Amino acid sequence: MARNELILTDVTKRFGGLTAVDALSLKVEDGQIYGLIGPNGAGKTTAFNNITGIYRPEEGSINWRGEEITGLTPYQIVDRGIVRTFQTIRLFSQMSVAENIMSGRHIKSKQSWWHGIIPTPGKKQDELENWKKVEEQLDFFKLGEFAATPVGSLPYGIQRRVEMARAMAVEPTLLILDEPAAGLNDKETMELLETIFKIRDSGVTVFLIEHDMDMVMEVTDYLTVINFGKKIAEGTPAEIQKNPAVIEAYLGSEDDDDE
Amino acid sequence: MKNYEKFVLPAFIAVMAVLPHLLNERWQAVAITFLIFSVVALSQDIILGKSGMFNMGQALFFGMGAYTTAILNNEYGWSIVSTIPLAILIPAIFGILLAGPIVHLRGDYLLVVTIGFNIVFVQVLQNNLGGVTGGPNGIFGLDSLSIFGYDLMNQVAVYYFAFIVLLLTLWIMSNLEKSKPGRALHYLREDQLAAESIGINTRVYKIFAFGLGAGIAGLAGTVFAVQYSAVSPEAFEFIQSVLFFSIVLVGGSSIPGVMLGVFVMFVVPEIFREFATWRYFIFGFAMIAAMILRPRGIVPATFGKIPKFLIKGGSHGA
Ligand SMILES: Nc1ncnc2c1ncn2[C@@H]1O[C@H](COP(=O)(O)OP(=O)(O)OP(=O)(O)O)[C@@H](O)[C@H]1O
Ligand SMILES: [Mg+2]
Repeated sequence: MARNELILTDVTKRFGGLTAVDALSLKVEDGQIYGLIGPNGAGKTTAFNNITGIYRPEEGSINWRGEEITGLTPYQIVDRGIVRTFQTIRLFSQMSVAENIMSGRHIKSKQSWWHGIIPTPGKKQDELENWKKVEEQLDFFKLGEFAATPVGSLPYGIQRRVEMARAMAVEPTLLILDEPAAGLNDKETMELLETIFKIRDSGVTVFLIEHDMDMVMEVTDYLTVINFGKKIAEGTPAEIQKNPAVIEAYLGSEDDDDE
Repeated sequence: MKNYEKFVLPAFIAVMAVLPHLLNERWQAVAITFLIFSVVALSQDIILGKSGMFNMGQALFFGMGAYTTAILNNEYGWSIVSTIPLAILIPAIFGILLAGPIVHLRGDYLLVVTIGFNIVFVQVLQNNLGGVTGGPNGIFGLDSLSIFGYDLMNQVAVYYFAFIVLLLTLWIMSNLEKSKPGRALHYLREDQLAAESIGINTRVYKIFAFGLGAGIAGLAGTVFAVQYSAVSPEAFEFIQSVLFFSIVLVGGSSIPGVMLGVFVMFVVPEIFREFATWRYFIFGFAMIAAMILRPRGIVPATFGKIPKFLIKGGSHGA
Protein backbone atom coordinates (compact mmCIF):
# COMPACT_ATOMS: atom_id res chain seq x y z
CA MET A 1 0.00 0.00 0.00
CA ALA A 2 1.22 3.44 -0.90
CA ARG A 3 2.28 5.69 1.93
CA ASN A 4 0.27 8.77 2.78
CA GLU A 5 2.63 11.18 1.13
CA LEU A 6 1.71 14.45 -0.51
CA ILE A 7 4.31 15.72 -2.95
CA LEU A 8 4.06 19.07 -4.69
CA THR A 9 6.49 19.61 -7.54
CA ASP A 10 6.92 23.08 -9.04
CA VAL A 11 3.26 23.96 -8.59
CA THR A 12 2.50 27.31 -10.17
CA LYS A 13 -0.77 29.21 -10.12
CA ARG A 14 -1.26 32.55 -11.81
CA PHE A 15 -4.11 35.04 -11.65
CA GLY A 16 -3.66 37.25 -14.68
CA GLY A 17 -0.29 38.88 -14.19
CA LEU A 18 0.04 37.79 -10.57
CA THR A 19 1.85 34.59 -9.78
CA ALA A 20 0.13 33.63 -6.55
CA VAL A 21 2.01 30.35 -6.19
CA ASP A 22 5.40 30.19 -7.85
CA ALA A 23 7.06 26.84 -8.50
CA LEU A 24 6.24 25.52 -5.05
CA SER A 25 7.67 22.14 -4.13
CA LEU A 26 7.22 20.38 -0.84
CA LYS A 27 6.63 17.00 0.65
CA VAL A 28 4.25 16.16 3.48
CA GLU A 29 5.06 12.82 5.02
CA ASP A 30 2.87 10.21 6.61
CA GLY A 31 1.90 11.09 10.18
CA GLN A 32 3.34 14.57 10.16
CA ILE A 33 1.81 17.79 11.30
CA TYR A 34 3.10 19.96 8.52
CA GLY A 35 2.87 23.73 8.50
CA LEU A 36 2.65 26.18 5.63
CA ILE A 37 3.32 29.71 6.75
CA GLY A 38 3.98 33.08 5.22
CA PRO A 39 2.86 36.69 5.39
CA ASN A 40 -0.54 37.92 4.20
CA GLY A 41 -1.13 37.28 0.55
CA ALA A 42 1.84 34.94 0.30
CA GLY A 43 -0.20 32.37 -1.59
CA LYS A 44 -0.92 29.83 1.16
CA THR A 45 -4.63 29.52 0.60
CA THR A 46 -4.07 29.41 -3.15
CA ALA A 47 -1.66 26.51 -2.66
CA PHE A 48 -4.35 24.66 -0.67
CA ASN A 49 -6.93 25.45 -3.32
CA ASN A 50 -4.68 23.82 -5.90
CA ILE A 51 -4.29 20.70 -3.81
CA THR A 52 -8.00 20.40 -3.10
CA GLY A 53 -9.06 20.85 -6.70
CA ILE A 54 -10.68 24.27 -6.39
CA TYR A 55 -8.02 25.63 -8.74
CA ARG A 56 -6.02 23.85 -11.35
CA PRO A 57 -2.35 24.82 -11.37
CA GLU A 58 -0.91 26.11 -14.65
CA GLU A 59 2.27 24.16 -14.07
CA GLY A 60 3.64 21.48 -11.82
CA SER A 61 2.26 18.32 -10.35
CA ILE A 62 0.56 17.25 -7.17
CA ASN A 63 1.01 13.67 -6.15
CA TRP A 64 -0.82 11.89 -3.34
CA ARG A 65 -0.06 8.33 -2.30
CA GLY A 66 1.73 7.78 -5.58
CA GLU A 67 -1.16 9.06 -7.67
CA GLU A 68 -1.19 12.19 -9.77
CA ILE A 69 -4.12 14.25 -8.49
CA THR A 70 -3.49 17.51 -10.35
CA GLY A 71 -6.67 18.78 -11.94
CA LEU A 72 -9.08 16.45 -10.17
CA THR A 73 -12.31 18.03 -8.95
CA PRO A 74 -12.83 18.78 -5.25
CA TYR A 75 -15.09 15.78 -4.67
CA GLN A 76 -12.61 13.47 -6.40
CA ILE A 77 -9.93 14.77 -4.07
CA VAL A 78 -12.14 14.05 -1.06
CA ASP A 79 -12.70 10.57 -2.40
CA ARG A 80 -8.96 10.05 -2.12
CA GLY A 81 -8.95 10.92 1.55
CA ILE A 82 -7.99 14.59 1.49
CA VAL A 83 -10.40 16.88 3.32
CA ARG A 84 -10.06 20.56 4.11
CA THR A 85 -11.47 23.38 6.18
CA PHE A 86 -11.69 26.97 5.02
CA GLN A 87 -10.03 30.14 6.20
CA THR A 88 -13.40 31.87 6.25
CA ILE A 89 -15.73 29.26 7.69
CA ARG A 90 -18.01 27.62 5.16
CA LEU A 91 -20.72 25.78 7.01
CA PHE A 92 -24.32 25.14 6.04
CA SER A 93 -25.39 27.88 8.36
CA GLN A 94 -29.15 27.27 8.49
CA MET A 95 -28.68 23.62 9.33
CA SER A 96 -28.06 22.07 12.69
CA VAL A 97 -24.62 21.11 13.91
CA ALA A 98 -25.49 17.43 13.55
CA GLU A 99 -26.63 17.86 9.96
CA ASN A 100 -23.45 19.75 9.15
CA ILE A 101 -21.37 16.90 10.49
CA MET A 102 -23.60 14.41 8.70
CA SER A 103 -22.60 16.06 5.42
CA GLY A 104 -19.15 14.70 6.07
CA ARG A 105 -20.59 11.19 5.99
CA HIS A 106 -21.73 11.63 2.41
CA ILE A 107 -19.03 9.60 0.74
CA LYS A 108 -19.05 6.94 3.45
CA SER A 109 -22.78 6.36 3.15
CA LYS A 110 -23.61 3.35 1.03
CA GLN A 111 -26.88 4.77 -0.29
CA SER A 112 -27.49 5.16 -4.00
CA TRP A 113 -29.49 7.88 -5.69
CA TRP A 114 -32.63 5.74 -5.71
CA HIS A 115 -32.61 5.49 -1.93
CA GLY A 116 -33.81 9.09 -2.09
CA ILE A 117 -37.01 7.76 -3.63
CA ILE A 118 -37.57 4.28 -2.23
CA PRO A 119 -36.43 3.28 1.23
CA THR A 120 -35.06 -0.18 1.98
CA PRO A 121 -34.15 -1.81 5.29
CA GLY A 122 -30.51 -1.45 4.23
CA LYS A 123 -30.95 2.26 3.85
CA LYS A 124 -32.40 2.60 7.31
CA GLN A 125 -29.45 0.73 8.73
CA ASP A 126 -27.04 2.91 6.77
CA GLU A 127 -28.71 6.08 8.07
CA LEU A 128 -28.43 4.87 11.62
CA GLU A 129 -24.78 3.88 11.26
CA ASN A 130 -23.87 7.26 9.86
CA TRP A 131 -25.76 9.19 12.54
CA LYS A 132 -23.84 7.09 15.07
CA LYS A 133 -20.62 8.29 13.45
CA VAL A 134 -21.93 11.82 13.74
CA GLU A 135 -22.45 11.20 17.42
CA GLU A 136 -18.81 10.11 17.74
CA GLN A 137 -17.67 13.40 16.22
CA LEU A 138 -20.08 15.36 18.41
CA ASP A 139 -18.48 13.72 21.42
CA PHE A 140 -14.91 14.09 20.19
CA PHE A 141 -15.35 17.79 19.50
CA LYS A 142 -17.52 18.33 22.61
CA LEU A 143 -20.41 19.57 20.51
CA GLY A 144 -23.12 17.28 21.89
CA GLU A 145 -25.16 20.01 23.52
CA PHE A 146 -25.39 21.93 20.23
CA ALA A 147 -26.42 18.96 18.07
CA ALA A 148 -29.79 20.42 17.10
CA THR A 149 -28.75 24.08 17.01
CA PRO A 150 -28.42 25.83 13.66
CA VAL A 151 -24.70 26.53 13.24
CA GLY A 152 -25.26 30.06 12.02
CA SER A 153 -26.38 31.08 15.48
CA LEU A 154 -23.31 29.71 17.28
CA PRO A 155 -20.22 31.64 18.36
CA TYR A 156 -17.28 31.68 16.01
CA GLY A 157 -15.07 29.39 18.08
CA ILE A 158 -17.72 26.68 18.09
CA GLN A 159 -18.31 27.05 14.36
CA ARG A 160 -14.61 26.39 13.81
CA ARG A 161 -14.99 23.18 15.79
CA VAL A 162 -18.03 22.16 13.76
CA GLU A 163 -16.11 22.67 10.56
CA MET A 164 -13.34 20.41 11.80
CA ALA A 165 -15.83 17.84 13.01
CA ARG A 166 -17.45 17.84 9.59
CA ALA A 167 -14.07 17.26 7.95
CA MET A 168 -13.19 14.49 10.39
CA ALA A 169 -16.53 12.78 9.75
CA VAL A 170 -15.21 12.00 6.27
CA GLU A 171 -12.48 9.91 7.97
CA PRO A 172 -9.72 11.56 5.97
CA THR A 173 -6.14 10.38 5.76
CA LEU A 174 -4.91 13.92 5.11
CA LEU A 175 -6.60 16.79 6.92
CA ILE A 176 -5.92 20.25 5.52
CA LEU A 177 -6.66 23.18 7.81
CA ASP A 178 -6.58 26.77 6.59
CA GLU A 179 -5.80 28.95 9.62
CA PRO A 180 -7.74 26.86 12.14
CA ALA A 181 -6.83 29.21 14.99
CA ALA A 182 -7.94 32.40 13.27
CA GLY A 183 -10.37 34.23 15.50
CA LEU A 184 -9.97 31.89 18.46
CA ASN A 185 -9.16 33.09 21.96
CA ASP A 186 -6.22 31.66 23.91
CA LYS A 187 -8.20 28.97 25.63
CA GLU A 188 -9.79 27.86 22.40
CA THR A 189 -6.40 27.83 20.71
CA MET A 190 -5.02 25.57 23.44
CA GLU A 191 -7.93 23.19 22.96
CA LEU A 192 -7.36 23.28 19.23
CA LEU A 193 -3.74 22.24 19.71
CA GLU A 194 -4.80 19.29 21.79
CA THR A 195 -7.38 18.33 19.21
CA ILE A 196 -4.86 18.48 16.39
CA PHE A 197 -2.45 16.26 18.32
CA LYS A 198 -5.23 13.78 18.99
CA ILE A 199 -6.19 13.73 15.34
CA ARG A 200 -2.61 13.09 14.32
CA ASP A 201 -2.27 10.34 16.92
CA SER A 202 -5.30 8.65 15.41
CA GLY A 203 -3.30 8.22 12.21
CA VAL A 204 -4.32 11.27 10.22
CA THR A 205 -1.67 13.40 8.55
CA VAL A 206 -2.28 17.11 9.14
CA PHE A 207 -1.30 19.93 6.81
CA LEU A 208 -2.09 23.38 8.10
CA ILE A 209 -1.71 27.04 7.37
CA GLU A 210 -1.18 29.26 10.35
CA HIS A 211 -0.52 32.90 10.99
CA ASP A 212 0.11 32.61 14.69
CA MET A 213 3.85 31.89 14.89
CA ASP A 214 3.75 30.67 18.48
CA MET A 215 1.14 28.14 17.61
CA VAL A 216 2.99 26.97 14.52
CA MET A 217 6.19 26.45 16.47
CA GLU A 218 4.36 24.43 19.06
CA VAL A 219 2.28 22.22 16.88
CA THR A 220 4.17 21.43 13.68
CA ASP A 221 6.87 18.86 12.99
CA TYR A 222 8.03 20.46 9.82
CA LEU A 223 7.37 23.71 7.98
CA THR A 224 7.53 25.42 4.65
CA VAL A 225 7.63 29.19 4.54
CA ILE A 226 6.46 31.04 1.45
CA ASN A 227 6.47 34.68 0.48
CA PHE A 228 5.12 36.13 -2.76
CA GLY A 229 4.26 32.60 -3.80
CA LYS A 230 7.83 31.34 -3.54
CA LYS A 231 9.31 29.05 -0.98
CA ILE A 232 11.85 30.92 1.11
CA ALA A 233 12.65 28.26 3.68
CA GLU A 234 11.79 24.84 5.01
CA GLY A 235 12.76 22.92 8.09
CA THR A 236 11.81 22.06 11.62
CA PRO A 237 10.31 24.81 13.75
CA ALA A 238 13.64 25.31 15.51
CA GLU A 239 15.48 25.74 12.22
CA ILE A 240 12.84 28.07 10.83
CA GLN A 241 12.96 30.32 13.86
CA LYS A 242 16.63 30.97 13.25
CA ASN A 243 16.34 31.42 9.51
CA PRO A 244 17.26 35.00 8.54
CA ALA A 245 15.08 35.03 5.40
CA VAL A 246 12.06 34.06 7.44
CA ILE A 247 12.75 36.60 10.12
CA GLU A 248 13.00 39.27 7.48
CA ALA A 249 9.82 38.27 5.70
CA TYR A 250 7.93 38.30 8.96
CA LEU A 251 9.45 41.45 10.36
CA GLY A 252 8.51 43.19 7.13
CA SER A 253 4.90 42.33 7.57
CA GLU A 254 4.57 42.12 11.34
CA ASP A 255 2.08 44.97 11.47
CA ASP A 256 -0.58 43.47 9.28
CA ASP A 257 -0.13 40.06 10.74
CA ASP A 258 -3.60 39.72 12.09
CA GLU A 259 -6.33 40.23 9.56
CA MET B 1 -42.60 21.06 12.87
CA LYS B 2 -43.30 18.22 15.26
CA ASN B 3 -46.91 19.35 15.42
CA TYR B 4 -47.02 19.35 11.68
CA GLU B 5 -45.90 15.76 11.33
CA LYS B 6 -47.89 14.47 14.28
CA PHE B 7 -51.20 16.27 13.80
CA VAL B 8 -51.49 18.60 10.87
CA LEU B 9 -50.40 16.18 8.17
CA PRO B 10 -52.49 13.20 9.36
CA ALA B 11 -55.49 15.47 9.86
CA PHE B 12 -55.04 16.89 6.39
CA ILE B 13 -54.80 13.42 4.88
CA ALA B 14 -57.87 12.25 6.77
CA VAL B 15 -59.92 15.21 5.57
CA MET B 16 -58.74 14.78 2.01
CA ALA B 17 -59.63 11.09 2.13
CA VAL B 18 -63.32 11.75 2.78
CA LEU B 19 -63.57 15.10 1.03
CA PRO B 20 -65.17 14.09 -2.29
CA HIS B 21 -68.19 12.69 -0.46
CA LEU B 22 -68.83 16.08 1.08
CA LEU B 23 -68.62 18.01 -2.16
CA ASN B 24 -70.78 18.48 -5.20
CA GLU B 25 -69.47 17.89 -8.70
CA ARG B 26 -68.14 21.35 -9.22
CA TRP B 27 -66.19 21.35 -5.98
CA GLN B 28 -64.92 17.87 -6.63
CA ALA B 29 -63.38 19.20 -9.81
CA VAL B 30 -61.79 22.04 -7.88
CA ALA B 31 -60.43 19.58 -5.35
CA ILE B 32 -58.91 17.45 -8.12
CA THR B 33 -57.26 20.51 -9.58
CA PHE B 34 -55.88 21.31 -6.16
CA LEU B 35 -54.42 17.81 -5.84
CA ILE B 36 -52.85 17.85 -9.29
CA PHE B 37 -51.32 21.28 -8.95
CA SER B 38 -50.09 20.41 -5.47
CA VAL B 39 -48.16 17.52 -6.94
CA VAL B 40 -46.65 19.72 -9.65
CA ALA B 41 -45.75 22.42 -7.13
CA LEU B 42 -44.14 19.83 -4.85
CA SER B 43 -42.16 18.47 -7.79
CA GLN B 44 -40.99 22.00 -8.48
CA ASP B 45 -40.09 22.27 -4.81
CA ILE B 46 -37.61 19.41 -5.24
CA ILE B 47 -35.79 21.36 -7.95
CA LEU B 48 -36.24 24.92 -6.76
CA GLY B 49 -36.81 24.69 -3.03
CA LYS B 50 -34.67 21.77 -2.00
CA SER B 51 -31.88 22.20 -4.53
CA GLY B 52 -32.02 25.94 -5.13
CA MET B 53 -32.05 25.68 -8.91
CA PHE B 54 -34.02 28.42 -10.64
CA ASN B 55 -36.09 26.24 -12.89
CA MET B 56 -38.80 28.23 -14.65
CA GLY B 57 -39.96 25.41 -16.89
CA GLN B 58 -41.79 22.95 -14.69
CA ALA B 59 -44.95 23.13 -16.83
CA LEU B 60 -42.88 21.50 -19.59
CA PHE B 61 -42.48 18.27 -17.63
CA PHE B 62 -46.08 18.42 -16.45
CA GLY B 63 -47.21 18.79 -20.05
CA MET B 64 -44.89 16.11 -21.31
CA GLY B 65 -46.47 13.60 -18.94
CA ALA B 66 -49.97 14.70 -19.95
CA TYR B 67 -49.17 14.45 -23.65
CA THR B 68 -47.45 11.09 -23.22
CA THR B 69 -50.63 9.69 -21.72
CA ALA B 70 -52.84 11.41 -24.28
CA ILE B 71 -50.83 10.31 -27.30
CA LEU B 72 -50.34 6.74 -26.16
CA ASN B 73 -54.02 6.43 -25.35
CA ASN B 74 -55.42 8.29 -28.30
CA GLU B 75 -53.03 7.27 -31.07
CA TYR B 76 -51.89 3.88 -29.92
CA GLY B 77 -54.82 2.71 -27.88
CA TRP B 78 -52.94 2.07 -24.67
CA SER B 79 -55.09 2.04 -21.56
CA ILE B 80 -54.59 5.07 -19.33
CA VAL B 81 -53.04 3.05 -16.53
CA SER B 82 -50.52 1.42 -18.85
CA THR B 83 -49.28 4.84 -19.98
CA ILE B 84 -48.22 5.76 -16.44
CA PRO B 85 -44.70 4.31 -16.51
CA LEU B 86 -43.82 6.18 -19.69
CA ALA B 87 -45.58 9.34 -18.53
CA ILE B 88 -43.11 9.32 -15.64
CA LEU B 89 -40.04 8.08 -17.48
CA ILE B 90 -40.16 10.25 -20.58
CA PRO B 91 -40.28 13.55 -18.67
CA ALA B 92 -37.71 12.20 -16.19
CA ILE B 93 -35.29 11.29 -18.97
CA PHE B 94 -35.96 14.60 -20.67
CA GLY B 95 -35.31 16.36 -17.38
CA ILE B 96 -32.00 14.58 -17.06
CA LEU B 97 -30.99 15.32 -20.64
CA LEU B 98 -31.99 18.97 -20.42
CA ALA B 99 -30.37 19.42 -17.03
CA GLY B 100 -27.05 17.86 -18.03
CA PRO B 101 -25.70 20.81 -19.99
CA ILE B 102 -27.30 23.57 -17.89
CA VAL B 103 -27.13 22.76 -14.20
CA HIS B 104 -23.76 24.42 -13.81
CA LEU B 105 -25.34 27.73 -14.84
CA ARG B 106 -25.83 30.43 -12.27
CA GLY B 107 -29.39 31.06 -11.06
CA ASP B 108 -30.43 33.78 -13.46
CA TYR B 109 -28.98 32.07 -16.51
CA LEU B 110 -30.64 28.80 -15.61
CA LEU B 111 -33.90 30.69 -15.29
CA VAL B 112 -33.67 32.07 -18.80
CA VAL B 113 -32.65 28.76 -20.33
CA THR B 114 -35.54 26.87 -18.72
CA ILE B 115 -37.99 29.54 -19.88
CA GLY B 116 -36.61 28.95 -23.35
CA PHE B 117 -37.18 25.21 -23.10
CA ASN B 118 -40.74 25.77 -21.97
CA ILE B 119 -41.49 28.11 -24.88
CA VAL B 120 -39.96 25.73 -27.41
CA PHE B 121 -42.01 22.89 -25.95
CA VAL B 122 -45.30 24.76 -26.33
CA GLN B 123 -44.34 25.76 -29.87
CA VAL B 124 -43.68 22.14 -30.71
CA LEU B 125 -47.11 21.18 -29.40
CA GLN B 126 -48.85 23.95 -31.29
CA ASN B 127 -47.15 23.17 -34.56
CA ASN B 128 -48.18 19.57 -34.27
CA LEU B 129 -44.69 18.26 -34.73
CA GLY B 130 -44.68 14.66 -35.78
CA GLY B 131 -48.42 14.94 -36.32
CA VAL B 132 -49.28 13.47 -32.94
CA THR B 133 -49.81 16.46 -30.64
CA GLY B 134 -52.98 17.71 -32.25
CA GLY B 135 -51.76 21.27 -32.80
CA PRO B 136 -53.32 24.22 -30.99
CA ASN B 137 -56.46 22.26 -30.14
CA GLY B 138 -54.56 19.46 -28.51
CA ILE B 139 -55.96 15.97 -28.08
CA PHE B 140 -59.40 15.21 -26.73
CA GLY B 141 -61.64 12.28 -26.12
CA LEU B 142 -59.28 10.22 -24.02
CA ASP B 143 -60.51 7.04 -22.44
CA SER B 144 -61.53 7.14 -18.82
CA LEU B 145 -59.55 5.47 -16.15
CA SER B 146 -60.07 1.73 -16.03
CA ILE B 147 -58.55 -0.76 -13.68
CA PHE B 148 -58.93 -4.52 -14.09
CA GLY B 149 -61.51 -3.97 -16.77
CA TYR B 150 -63.68 -1.70 -14.62
CA ASP B 151 -64.30 1.71 -16.09
CA LEU B 152 -63.94 4.35 -13.42
CA MET B 153 -65.90 7.04 -15.14
CA ASN B 154 -67.03 9.15 -12.26
CA GLN B 155 -65.19 12.07 -10.82
CA VAL B 156 -64.77 10.50 -7.42
CA ALA B 157 -62.56 7.85 -9.00
CA VAL B 158 -60.44 10.53 -10.63
CA TYR B 159 -60.24 12.28 -7.28
CA TYR B 160 -58.87 9.18 -5.59
CA PHE B 161 -56.43 8.65 -8.41
CA ALA B 162 -55.15 12.20 -7.88
CA PHE B 163 -55.14 11.68 -4.12
CA ILE B 164 -53.05 8.53 -4.41
CA VAL B 165 -50.59 10.39 -6.62
CA LEU B 166 -50.33 13.14 -4.01
CA LEU B 167 -49.77 10.61 -1.22
CA LEU B 168 -47.10 8.93 -3.32
CA THR B 169 -45.42 12.29 -3.85
CA LEU B 170 -45.50 13.10 -0.13
CA TRP B 171 -44.10 9.67 0.61
CA ILE B 172 -41.24 10.14 -1.86
CA MET B 173 -40.48 13.55 -0.43
CA SER B 174 -40.33 12.24 3.09
CA ASN B 175 -38.00 9.47 1.93
CA LEU B 176 -35.87 12.04 0.18
CA GLU B 177 -35.63 14.13 3.33
CA LYS B 178 -34.14 11.21 5.25
CA SER B 179 -31.67 10.08 2.64
CA LYS B 180 -28.18 10.77 1.41
CA PRO B 181 -29.32 12.26 -1.91
CA GLY B 182 -31.90 14.47 -0.20
CA ARG B 183 -29.36 15.88 2.21
CA ALA B 184 -26.88 16.36 -0.62
CA LEU B 185 -29.43 18.65 -2.29
CA HIS B 186 -29.78 20.74 0.86
CA TYR B 187 -26.03 21.00 1.22
CA LEU B 188 -25.38 22.04 -2.35
CA ARG B 189 -28.16 24.59 -2.17
CA GLU B 190 -26.65 26.22 0.89
CA ASP B 191 -23.04 26.25 -0.25
CA GLN B 192 -21.97 24.49 -3.38
CA LEU B 193 -18.25 24.83 -2.78
CA ALA B 194 -18.53 23.52 0.75
CA ALA B 195 -20.61 20.61 -0.53
CA GLU B 196 -17.99 19.73 -3.13
CA SER B 197 -15.30 20.05 -0.51
CA ILE B 198 -16.77 17.32 1.60
CA GLY B 199 -17.09 15.03 -1.36
CA ILE B 200 -20.46 15.69 -2.97
CA ASN B 201 -20.55 15.46 -6.73
CA THR B 202 -22.98 18.35 -6.96
CA ARG B 203 -23.58 17.95 -10.68
CA VAL B 204 -24.90 14.42 -10.31
CA TYR B 205 -27.31 15.41 -7.54
CA LYS B 206 -28.57 18.46 -9.40
CA ILE B 207 -29.37 16.28 -12.39
CA PHE B 208 -30.97 13.76 -10.05
CA ALA B 209 -33.23 16.51 -8.68
CA PHE B 210 -34.26 17.52 -12.18
CA GLY B 211 -35.00 13.93 -13.14
CA LEU B 212 -37.04 13.28 -10.01
CA GLY B 213 -38.92 16.56 -10.20
CA ALA B 214 -39.68 16.01 -13.87
CA GLY B 215 -40.87 12.44 -13.31
CA ILE B 216 -43.30 13.46 -10.58
CA ALA B 217 -44.59 16.36 -12.66
CA GLY B 218 -45.08 13.91 -15.52
CA LEU B 219 -47.23 11.68 -13.34
CA ALA B 220 -49.31 14.71 -12.37
CA GLY B 221 -49.69 15.25 -16.11
CA THR B 222 -51.35 11.87 -16.49
CA VAL B 223 -53.89 12.78 -13.81
CA PHE B 224 -54.50 16.08 -15.53
CA ALA B 225 -55.14 14.35 -18.86
CA VAL B 226 -57.56 11.98 -17.14
CA GLN B 227 -59.43 14.76 -15.39
CA TYR B 228 -60.18 16.66 -18.57
CA SER B 229 -59.93 13.62 -20.84
CA ALA B 230 -58.08 16.09 -23.02
CA VAL B 231 -54.80 17.99 -23.26
CA SER B 232 -53.99 21.23 -25.02
CA PRO B 233 -50.88 23.41 -25.24
CA GLU B 234 -52.09 26.44 -23.28
CA ALA B 235 -52.29 24.44 -20.05
CA PHE B 236 -48.51 24.09 -20.13
CA GLU B 237 -47.51 27.60 -21.09
CA PHE B 238 -44.57 29.30 -19.51
CA ILE B 239 -46.92 31.38 -17.35
CA GLN B 240 -47.92 28.16 -15.58
CA SER B 241 -44.27 27.58 -14.77
CA VAL B 242 -44.11 31.07 -13.32
CA LEU B 243 -47.01 30.17 -11.04
CA PHE B 244 -45.36 26.99 -9.80
CA PHE B 245 -42.13 28.86 -9.29
CA SER B 246 -43.87 31.59 -7.31
CA ILE B 247 -45.88 29.15 -5.26
CA VAL B 248 -42.72 27.43 -4.04
CA LEU B 249 -41.01 30.72 -3.23
CA VAL B 250 -44.02 32.27 -1.55
CA GLY B 251 -44.91 29.06 0.26
CA GLY B 252 -41.40 28.77 1.62
CA SER B 253 -40.37 25.42 0.19
CA SER B 254 -42.09 23.42 2.90
CA ILE B 255 -44.90 20.98 2.21
CA PRO B 256 -47.57 22.95 4.10
CA GLY B 257 -46.27 26.20 2.59
CA VAL B 258 -46.37 24.90 -0.96
CA MET B 259 -49.85 23.42 -0.55
CA LEU B 260 -51.08 26.64 0.99
CA GLY B 261 -49.73 28.46 -2.04
CA VAL B 262 -51.60 26.12 -4.37
CA PHE B 263 -54.74 26.62 -2.32
CA VAL B 264 -54.52 30.39 -2.53
CA MET B 265 -53.75 30.30 -6.23
CA PHE B 266 -56.20 27.70 -7.48
CA VAL B 267 -58.91 27.22 -4.88
CA VAL B 268 -59.53 30.65 -3.40
CA PRO B 269 -60.41 32.14 -6.82
CA GLU B 270 -63.08 29.45 -7.14
CA ILE B 271 -64.56 30.39 -3.80
CA PHE B 272 -64.80 34.01 -4.87
CA ARG B 273 -65.81 33.24 -8.36
CA GLU B 274 -66.79 36.78 -9.17
CA PHE B 275 -63.22 37.69 -8.53
CA ALA B 276 -61.76 34.94 -10.67
CA THR B 277 -60.46 37.43 -13.17
CA TRP B 278 -58.64 39.10 -10.30
CA ARG B 279 -56.75 35.99 -9.44
CA TYR B 280 -53.39 36.99 -10.84
CA PHE B 281 -53.89 40.40 -9.38
CA ILE B 282 -54.58 38.99 -5.91
CA PHE B 283 -51.85 36.41 -6.14
CA GLY B 284 -49.44 39.04 -7.39
CA PHE B 285 -50.14 41.15 -4.33
CA ALA B 286 -49.94 38.15 -2.05
CA MET B 287 -46.54 37.38 -3.56
CA ILE B 288 -45.26 40.89 -3.04
CA ALA B 289 -46.56 41.05 0.50
CA ALA B 290 -45.22 37.62 1.38
CA MET B 291 -41.79 38.35 0.02
CA ILE B 292 -41.56 41.61 1.90
CA LEU B 293 -43.02 40.35 5.18
CA ARG B 294 -41.65 36.80 5.06
CA PRO B 295 -38.71 36.69 2.67
CA ARG B 296 -38.17 33.02 3.46
CA GLY B 297 -41.76 32.13 2.60
CA ILE B 298 -45.02 31.87 4.45
CA VAL B 299 -44.09 28.56 6.07
CA PRO B 300 -40.30 28.43 5.76
CA ALA B 301 -38.61 25.08 5.36
CA THR B 302 -37.05 23.95 8.59
CA PHE B 303 -34.06 21.78 9.11
CA GLY B 304 -33.17 19.77 12.14
CA LYS B 305 -34.45 16.39 11.10
CA ILE B 306 -31.94 14.58 13.21
CA PRO B 307 -32.44 11.41 15.22
CA LYS B 308 -33.58 11.83 18.80
CA PHE B 309 -30.59 10.10 20.33
CA LEU B 310 -28.40 13.00 19.22
CA ILE B 311 -30.39 15.62 21.06
CA LYS B 312 -28.99 15.96 24.55
CA GLY B 313 -29.53 18.49 27.24
CA GLY B 314 -32.48 19.85 25.34
CA SER B 315 -31.78 23.48 26.10
CA HIS B 316 -30.76 23.98 22.49
CA GLY B 317 -33.01 21.31 21.08
CA ALA B 318 -35.25 21.88 18.11
N1 LIG C 1 -9.32 34.03 -7.19
C1 LIG C 1 -8.34 34.94 -7.21
N2 LIG C 1 -8.24 35.81 -8.24
C2 LIG C 1 -7.25 36.71 -8.27
N3 LIG C 1 -6.30 36.83 -7.35
C3 LIG C 1 -6.33 36.00 -6.31
C4 LIG C 1 -7.34 35.00 -6.18
N4 LIG C 1 -7.14 34.29 -5.04
C5 LIG C 1 -6.05 34.83 -4.49
N5 LIG C 1 -5.54 35.84 -5.24
C6 LIG C 1 -4.35 36.61 -4.96
O1 LIG C 1 -3.30 35.70 -4.80
C7 LIG C 1 -2.43 36.11 -3.76
C8 LIG C 1 -2.32 35.01 -2.74
O2 LIG C 1 -3.55 34.92 -2.05
P1 LIG C 1 -3.81 33.83 -0.94
O3 LIG C 1 -5.21 33.98 -0.52
O4 LIG C 1 -3.36 32.52 -1.42
O5 LIG C 1 -2.84 34.33 0.21
P2 LIG C 1 -2.67 33.76 1.68
O6 LIG C 1 -1.26 33.43 1.84
O7 LIG C 1 -3.64 32.71 1.97
O8 LIG C 1 -3.00 35.07 2.51
P3 LIG C 1 -3.75 35.24 3.90
O9 LIG C 1 -2.74 35.03 4.95
O10 LIG C 1 -4.20 36.65 3.85
O11 LIG C 1 -4.86 34.27 3.95
C9 LIG C 1 -2.99 37.40 -3.20
O12 LIG C 1 -2.30 38.46 -3.80
C10 LIG C 1 -4.43 37.37 -3.64
O13 LIG C 1 -4.91 38.66 -3.85
MG1 LIG D 1 -5.24 32.51 3.18
